[in-house]
Amino acid sequence: MATIRDISVRKEEGTHWAQKEGRLLLGDALPESEELYRMLLDGIQDHAIFMMDPSGRIASWNAGAERIKGYGADEIIGRNFSCFFSPEDVGRGRPEEVLRMTAANGRHEEQGMRVRKDGSRFLASFTLTALRDQAGSLRGFFEFSHDLSERKESEARYRGLLEAAPDAMVVVNQDGEIVLLNLQAERTFGYRRDELVGQQVRNIIPTGFAERLIADGTRTAAAALAQQIGTGIELSGRRRDGSEFPVEIMLSPLESPDGILVTAAIRDISVRKEAERHLARLEGRYRGLLEAAPDAMVLVNHSGEIVLVNAQAKKQFGYSPGDLLGQHVKKIIPEGFTERLIADVLQSADCAPTPQVRAGIELIGRHKDGSDFPIEIMLGPLKSTEGILLTVAIRDITTRKKAETLLLRTVQELNRSNEELEQFAYIASHDLQEPLRMVASYTQLLSKRYKGKLDSDADEFIAFAVDGANRMQRLIRDLLAYSRVGTKGKDFGNISSEEALEQATTNLRGAIEESGALVTHDPLPTVLADEGQLVQLFQNLVGNAIKYRNPGVPQIHISSAKSDGKSGETKWSFSVKDNGLGIESKYFEKIFGLFQRLHKREEFAGTGIGLAICKKIVERHGGSISVESQPGQGSTFRFALAGSKGKS
Amino acid sequence: MKTIGGEGRPIEVLLVEDSPGDVRLTREALRDANGSIHLHVATDGVEAMAFLRREEAQIRAPRPDLILLDLNLPRMDGREVLAHIKADSSLKTIPTIILTTSEAEADIVQSYQLHANCYLIKPVQLDAFERLVKSINDFWLSKVTLLPPSQPR
Repeated sequence: MATIRDISVRKEEGTHWAQKEGRLLLGDALPESEELYRMLLDGIQDHAIFMMDPSGRIASWNAGAERIKGYGADEIIGRNFSCFFSPEDVGRGRPEEVLRMTAANGRHEEQGMRVRKDGSRFLASFTLTALRDQAGSLRGFFEFSHDLSERKESEARYRGLLEAAPDAMVVVNQDGEIVLLNLQAERTFGYRRDELVGQQVRNIIPTGFAERLIADGTRTAAAALAQQIGTGIELSGRRRDGSEFPVEIMLSPLESPDGILVTAAIRDISVRKEAERHLARLEGRYRGLLEAAPDAMVLVNHSGEIVLVNAQAKKQFGYSPGDLLGQHVKKIIPEGFTERLIADVLQSADCAPTPQVRAGIELIGRHKDGSDFPIEIMLGPLKSTEGILLTVAIRDITTRKKAETLLLRTVQELNRSNEELEQFAYIASHDLQEPLRMVASYTQLLSKRYKGKLDSDADEFIAFAVDGANRMQRLIRDLLAYSRVGTKGKDFGNISSEEALEQATTNLRGAIEESGALVTHDPLPTVLADEGQLVQLFQNLVGNAIKYRNPGVPQIHISSAKSDGKSGETKWSFSVKDNGLGIESKYFEKIFGLFQRLHKREEFAGTGIGLAICKKIVERHGGSISVESQPGQGSTFRFALAGSKGKS
Repeated sequence: MKTIGGEGRPIEVLLVEDSPGDVRLTREALRDANGSIHLHVATDGVEAMAFLRREEAQIRAPRPDLILLDLNLPRMDGREVLAHIKADSSLKTIPTIILTTSEAEADIVQSYQLHANCYLIKPVQLDAFERLVKSINDFWLSKVTLLPPSQPR
C-alpha cells in the first residue's frame, strides 16, 4: 500500500501510541496482530478513525482522518477533538455534550458539520463509541467518521439526482448551514463548492430563507416547512460578486439522522421576471390603448361572458365595470349577438391564416336604464392565455343613424317634391289646355264666322287673340312634352340608334323635303335607351339643324364614336353636325335652358323648349349634351349614351 | 244626305259632356256636318243613364243612334256610364264613341276593355275638331249600317 509508505515516517510515533493503546485496550492477547491492525486502520482512507482519551484528547490518527480533516498525526495527537467543531458549536459546548452522550449511552451517532484544518466545513457522519475497561471505568472514545459530502456509493444516486436537477440545489440544515449543493448552485452563485459547504445560506440568499428554517418553538420545523412545500417562494439571491438577482425557491424537508434537512431548489428567475415586467408594461400599454379607444371595447369568452370592459363601455351602457364582468353580453346587446356569431368568429381564428374581423354589424344596444340605442359592432378573435377571446368594438351610431334617417328623409322628400313638380307641370299644362282650347276654339270660331263682317279693328283684335291662344297652346304642348320626359319615360332597351334616326327623319319628312336638306350618317350602334325618346332627341336636333339653316342646301351628318366609361362600360358619343347659322359661344350653355330662344318670333317660330327636352332626355340616359359652333360655320351637337350590354 | 231608318226621321245622338263650351262646339260642328242630327245632351253620367233608361222626366226620351261620351264627368264618370251601357243588353248595341281630351294610355285601354266602339281624342285646333266631328258623321252616321230602330230592345 503506497499510502503506508508515504506516511510511514510520520506514523512512527502514532503507531507506537496506537500499539500502546491497542495493548491497553485489547490486552496482550494478540500482540502479533498489532501490526495487522495498524495496517488495517491506515488502509481505510474513506473513513477517519481515531481514539481519544476521556477528555477528548486525540490519541490515535489514521490515514483516512488525515485525508478528510487535513491534519497530520503529529500535529493533531494530543489536541482536543473540539477543534473539529465550528466555533459556534464549541461555544455551545457541543464537543463536551457529544462525549457526555457517548459515555452515557455507550455509543453516539450523529451527522453534522465539521471543520477541517483549513477552516472549511463539511458534513460528516460520525459514530462515537465509549471505551471501557473490564472494571467498567471509562478509558476513552473511539470515533469512526466519514465525509458525507464525498460518500460515494450510498450517495451516488442522490448526488446524481442532485446534479441532474435543472435548478441549483442546496441542502441546508436547521442551523442554516449549507450541507450540500450541486453544480448548478455553484454556477448560479459563482462560488466553488467547498466555498459554500458549511457556510450560512444567508451568504447566498440574504433574507427570507434562513428565517423559515428557524422553528419558532410552537411549530416544528417540519410543520413550518410543510406550508412552503411545493410552493415557490420568490426571494433575492446574491452572487459571489455581490450582485443580486431574483430567485424562486422550492423547499422540501429531508428527514435525516441528524434531524431535518431542507432541500432547496433555487431557480434564477431573472429572465422570467423581466418577461413579466415586459408583459406588465405591455399590458399597461394595451390597457392604455383599450381605454383610449373611442369605442366601447368588450372582451367576451366563448360562452358570451364579458371578461374585460373599457371605460367607454361603462360610459355607453351606464354600468360600472363590476356590473358587467362575468355577465353575459346579452345584458348590453339583447339580440343578435348569438352563440352562432361568436362561434363563427372564434372558428375563423382557428381556420383562417389571418383571423377574420367581422365589421359593420348593426345591432341594438341596451343601456342600464333600459333605453335602447343603435350600435355598430366589430368582432375579432384574440388569442389569449385564457383561450380564444372575442374582441367586440361597439360604436354608438345614434348620431349617424339620425343623420342617415334625416338624409334618407331629405332624399325622399326631394324625390317626392321633384315628382310632384313634374306631376304639377304635367297636370297644370294638361288642365290649362282645357280652358285654353275653349279660348282658342271660340276665337277661331269668331274669326271664321265674323271676319270681314265687323270693322277692321275687330278683325285685328280677333287675330291677336287667335295668335296668342295658338302660341299658348304650343307652349303648353311643349311643356307637356318636356315634363313627360321624366314622368312618362319608358324602360331602356337595346335600341338601334340607326333605326331611331331613320324614324326621326321620317317624322321630319315635310321639313326635309321643303328645305332640300341632305341628312347623312355613319353606321350607328345599338345603345341602351328609351326608343321614343331617342327618336325625339334625333328629331329635335336634326329639326333644329334644318330650321336654323343658311341659304343653300342644309347638310346634316350624324356620326358616333366609342369611348370607354370610367367603370369600364362602353359609351357611345354621337355628333349631329350641320352647316347652319351657328351659335355664338356665349350661348352654348343657355340654349339648353327652358324657354330659351336666340331669335325673334318673326324670324323663327318656336317655344325654346326643344333643346331643353334634348338635355333632359340625354341626362335621363346618364349622359350629357354640348355644342361646338361658330356663327356662320355651322354647329355640332354632341351627346353620349351608354352602349348596349353584351354588344360593342 | 243619307239618313237612318227611313224617310225624314232625324238622327238621334246623345252627347254626354259637362263643359258647355264643348257642347256648343260639338253642336256647331255637327250642325255644319249634318242638318238632320237631333242632339241630346246629358251633362253627367247619372243624367245620361236616366236618359237611356227613360227614367222619370226622361220617359219620352228617344233611343239614340249614337252616343258621344266624355270620360271625365261629375257624379258618375264616363267609364262607369260605358260599363253600364255595355252591361245592359238593350243598350249595348248602341255605338258608343269616347270623345275626350285624355291621351292617357290607361284610359284608352280601359275604354276598349269596356267595349267602347272607338276612342277619339279632341283636337286642340278648331278646324281639326270640326274635321273630326265631320268624320264621325261621315262614318258612323252615313257609312255604317246600324241596327234598325224597330228592333226589339
